[in-house]
Amino acid sequence: MAALLLLGVSFVVFIILFLSPGNPFNALLKEQAATGAVSDAAKRGLSVPSSWYTQYLSWLGNILKGDFGNSIQTGLPVLSEVIRVSINTVYLTAGSMIMTLVLAVPIAVLSARRGLTPTNWFFTIFTYVVSAIPVFWFGYIVIYISIHQFGVFPLASSSSSQGWSWFHFMLPVIVLGLGNGTISEVVRYLREEMSRVFAEEYILTARAKGASIWKHSFKEGFLLPITEIIASKIPFLLGGAVVVEQVFSWPGMGRMAWQAAQYRDYPLIMGITVVAAIIVRMGSLMQRVVQIMVNPRASRE
Amino acid sequence: MSNGPVLAIENLRTYFFSRSKQAFIRSVDGVTLHIEKGKTLGIVGESGSGKSVTALSTMGLISAEPGVIIGKIGLKTETVQKNLLRDLKDHVKINMSTGRIMSVYKDSLGWQKKINRLMKGIRGKEIAMIFQNPKLSMNPFSSIGKQIAESILLNTSISNRNEAKDKAIYWLEQVKMDSPRLRYYNNPYGLSGGMCQRAMIAMALSSEPSLLIADEPTTGLDATIQSKIVDLLAHLKTSFGVTTMLISHDIDVIKSLSDNVAVMYGGTVLEHGPARTILTSDYKYKHPYTAALLSSIPSQEHIREKKKLQVIEGDVLDTINIPDGCRFFERCNKVTDKIKEQCEHTEPDLREVFPGHKVRCFRFFRT
Ligand SMILES: Nc1ncnc2c1ncn2[C@@H]1O[C@H](COP(=O)(O)OP(=O)(O)OP(=O)(O)O)[C@@H](O)[C@H]1O
Ligand SMILES: [Mg+2]
Repeated sequence: MAALLLLGVSFVVFIILFLSPGNPFNALLKEQAATGAVSDAAKRGLSVPSSWYTQYLSWLGNILKGDFGNSIQTGLPVLSEVIRVSINTVYLTAGSMIMTLVLAVPIAVLSARRGLTPTNWFFTIFTYVVSAIPVFWFGYIVIYISIHQFGVFPLASSSSSQGWSWFHFMLPVIVLGLGNGTISEVVRYLREEMSRVFAEEYILTARAKGASIWKHSFKEGFLLPITEIIASKIPFLLGGAVVVEQVFSWPGMGRMAWQAAQYRDYPLIMGITVVAAIIVRMGSLMQRVVQIMVNPRASRE
Repeated sequence: MSNGPVLAIENLRTYFFSRSKQAFIRSVDGVTLHIEKGKTLGIVGESGSGKSVTALSTMGLISAEPGVIIGKIGLKTETVQKNLLRDLKDHVKINMSTGRIMSVYKDSLGWQKKINRLMKGIRGKEIAMIFQNPKLSMNPFSSIGKQIAESILLNTSISNRNEAKDKAIYWLEQVKMDSPRLRYYNNPYGLSGGMCQRAMIAMALSSEPSLLIADEPTTGLDATIQSKIVDLLAHLKTSFGVTTMLISHDIDVIKSLSDNVAVMYGGTVLEHGPARTILTSDYKYKHPYTAALLSSIPSQEHIREKKKLQVIEGDVLDTINIPDGCRFFERCNKVTDKIKEQCEHTEPDLREVFPGHKVRCFRFFRT
């Protein structure tokens, strides 16, 4: 399954790259009169396969051997480069996922338990407004405020010499956490699931025996929906990360992808695609594991 | 033990507000009943007569907004004696007119908090409940044994997990669960409806409650399983003598398990008395509704003797527009010219017509 998914994803991205205008040779040779003849000569010199499918197959063949090729722009091996920066992206996305949940979960839980009281109603509207804010705009506003109000230049790259500071770490996390556009959906989904479970008969039984309804609704009303949300929102977060990393010069996969796209750095783009697909896949794998663990049909001895 | 009933409900009214109709649904509208220690009170009545709402009100489990509960629910056990609705009125403002509620303002949060405070140490501990649908009523994500043990830890003096587990297995044995030690680990999914109901009963009994409320404990089950559960309940009744409120449509179930019977109709009790008199068709003081109910339900007798069933004419009472007079007036076939006027315009009260037997009908008394 996972292998098929990766195959499909890489193939689609490959086709998109192939059909999109521009090519790495022009980007590479842009200083030296990039005529067709020069570019063709470069291709021949690097022994690039001529047709698109032979290109893809040779890439695939190398991948299977664990060779993702080298970046056209920097010449560094793709795999180790992508893995190096993907750690930063994982920090960013995990941090902002936690940020989103820290905001969304209390609102969802309160409104599931107490109904839409004026306060809960206000918070719910607030999440809808927040979800509608474009993340790049939000990012620039935050940078603007930070420079003009606090006199700090909040870009991750500017701090790299002194190591990470909390400030440089938190700003992009907050921006992506608020601006990824999923908060309202998380609130709505979690509230609906919790309300549904609170109305289940076994919760009435729990109340009737004096037990905690939180304890009894935890698995179906919280754990399952939360893992489902996390798994399904990872792609959105990775998408948002591309923008946020760019805005904050965050040395992550998204920023690398952005640059790779500008340089038509095909091997790098393909490498990032594969790693991103693996991250998304791991999200759904985690969801499956949780589902199997709490499955009511499985009796544990 | 001091005398007096374990549970005495007086004039209980539980209303729900229907937004679509902008009116109160008077699901329970003046219920008065009592259960003596060690006895079983059977509650019968057509669907929608307010049986479950009475039970849930007693448990403080009515959560619909903005529902209102007024009246008195007196609980008297060895350790507790209190009105389970005490001071709840503080959280509602009620406009009454001609004895009926016209509008209500309710501080829901305060009300819910007060209920939870009132019911602390009562729910589960003093009053346990069994529900109609056993498979949906047990938590599907946990083993039945753990759920019983949880109840034991919460509601009895046992605080050691292993002891609680042994006790849970003991109760699984008491409800005649086959191989209780293995079943302890089963999730409800792995059990049949009948076995789930046994587990539910075990869970309810495991907290050694002063009062057990069983709301249609057999209705959701197959006929053969039903009779097994009835046998089990009868057996448990003789061995543990738990004071029980037993709700059922099924006259036969009520007959085989109850000492006393309350007949409910349109949110009120029409008749309350000993089971053996109420449930025999030729008893002299009988509410016309009870008589109709007895002849409309296929009892063993009917099936054996192929007697023709009588259907109660008319619709179930509309609990929004309750008439002024007797609630059963429209459908009653025993109204005589002499009392007709009275039946139509004044509601009879639930009056003792024979020691221990109360009826709400003008055929037996005059106001
Ligand atoms: N939460 C609620 N909100 C509004 N109306 C309710 C609510 N709960 C119950 N009712 C109404 O109260 C009336 C009595 O319901 P109840 O469940 O007590 O009947 P019952 O006698 O138990 O019937 P059955 O034999 O079908 O279980 C019904 O008309 C029902 O629609
Ligand atoms: Mg009912």
